[in-house]
Amino acid sequence: MAIITISRGSYSKGKEVAEKVASRLGYTCISRDVLLDASENFHIPEMKLVRAIHDAPSLLDRFSRSQQAFIAYIRCALVQHVKEDNVVYHGLAGHLLLKGIPHVLKVRVIADLHDRVRAEMKREKVSEKAARSLLLKDDEERRKWTQSLYGVDPWDSALYDLVVHIRKLTVEDAVDIISDAAVSAPFKTLKQTQQKMEDYGMACQLKASLVDSFDNVGVKSEYGNILVYAKGNEHHVQRVRKKAMEITGKMTGVNELEVHAAQKLPPNTV
Amino acid sequence: MSIILISSDHYETGRAVAQQVAEATGYAFLDREILGEVASASQIPEPKIRKSLERSSSTVGFPAKVRNRALASIQAAAMARLLDDKVVCHGLAAHLYVLGVSHVLKIRILCKEEERVSLITAERKVGIEKARKIIKKQEAADKRWSLDLFGRDETNPSQYDMVISLSQIETDEAVNAIVETVSYRKFQSMTYSIKCLRDKELSIRVKLALMEKYNDVDVTADGTTVVVRTKALRREKRKKTESIRAVAGQIPGVSYVEVHMVKDIFRQAAESA
Repeated sequence: MAIITISRGSYSKGKEVAEKVASRLGYTCISRDVLLDASENFHIPEMKLVRAIHDAPSLLDRFSRSQQAFIAYIRCALVQHVKEDNVVYHGLAGHLLLKGIPHVLKVRVIADLHDRVRAEMKREKVSEKAARSLLLKDDEERRKWTQSLYGVDPWDSALYDLVVHIRKLTVEDAVDIISDAAVSAPFKTLKQTQQKMEDYGMACQLKASLVDSFDNVGVKSEYGNILVYAKGNEHHVQRVRKKAMEITGKMTGVNELEVHAAQKLPPNTV
Repeated sequence: MSIILISSDHYETGRAVAQQVAEATGYAFLDREILGEVASASQIPEPKIRKSLERSSSTVGFPAKVRNRALASIQAAAMARLLDDKVVCHGLAAHLYVLGVSHVLKIRILCKEEERVSLITAERKVGIEKARKIIKKQEAADKRWSLDLFGRDETNPSQYDMVISLSQIETDEAVNAIVETVSYRKFQSMTYSIKCLRDKELSIRVKLALMEKYNDVDVTADGTTVVVRTKALRREKRKKTESIRAVAGQIPGVSYVEVHMVKDIFRQAAESA
């Protein structure tokens, strides 16, 4: 009874590991489904969402609201999926999008560049030089994306509970290790952790609905009591309040809504 | 019949995990207790030997020559013990110099960040933000130290078979995972992997003996044959080769010494200027 996110670079065998872990534990394995749902729910072409979550933001993107909005849509779709529990997610940025949820086992699967290059050469039928250059470019995009949006390096092991190196350890060994960790006590879904997930889901849903009209808004929820923090003058905060009340009126499980003006958005908000 | 090398971002945490793994597997536990012995064998004071393993220590009053000899002495002592097999080694930086040996399982343990923060706030009487900054500095120092001295970044996960963060995973679970993983067949010692380890142990012993006289030697071993690579000026080539052969030839386990000399172009240029 857990949620597992598997982060991976291209051709690191992370997808194979994720599918086998899901099959071993009887969990649902998701990846692109999240983008498809986000695309359908928020009427955004899938390609735009893929770019928002894969490519490093350009200078222009950093000043535009769209990338933040796309990420809010993807996070909202992801949370709706994983709320059901027993899920393995091996799409992009799962460990960051679900940061702060205690029963999420965050795994990174890595492989040596040499092995990745060989796998890419075989699959894409390209030269070694081209394969290496493509992989390094892809890795660099990931690094820039994570650094610009979350201020962290995706290669930093501290972001994960487990990093498994596929070299001496095989895919099967990785599956054994991850499956054993997933059923251990810290990752079991408890009443409190499920409540936290429900709250996170509500915050993400409201944020995704607000982000289109307002930037600099932070949302969090505690036992169905939603707190919205908005940066701006009183008039702006009033507008945020009105919109938030309208949205939460249609949501289930909301007890109360408070909207506050804030100089700086609290770090534990989405 | 394997070797487990454990590295950590926090010495005490890594040591505690390594001790538990040793207890669970029945393997010998190897840590900095051997440094006293290393000090008397190398005739380098023990504080200097310890300092050579400290990531954030100042290099003032600690010449590179002494530091390199201290590290080589630690390596030699650690490798000799690793040959016994069934060893859990921690705190001797073995993950940075025991390379290419298939029956070695390399693990990195990451301490709970809050725990490190609270230890630093208590020890140094600083606030949480300051403690976090100190941790960041320590991580940068770990990286710099390992890159400068071994050419490898010890914070890079690709140096290990597995990295376990204790933020969520309990110590007992981490110990179980390590014990389970080391039982895989690929971590069992084989004739070839034992030979690789023996070769490395012999090469570091030879290097250590040569370091008394020469600082710039690179040594590899294959069975009882040792290959030494170094730099020399043309006029000193013969004398240096003979001297290296004489020193290396006396090391137990060496039957043949091959010396490869490369022209020391910088010294040559300096002398001709």
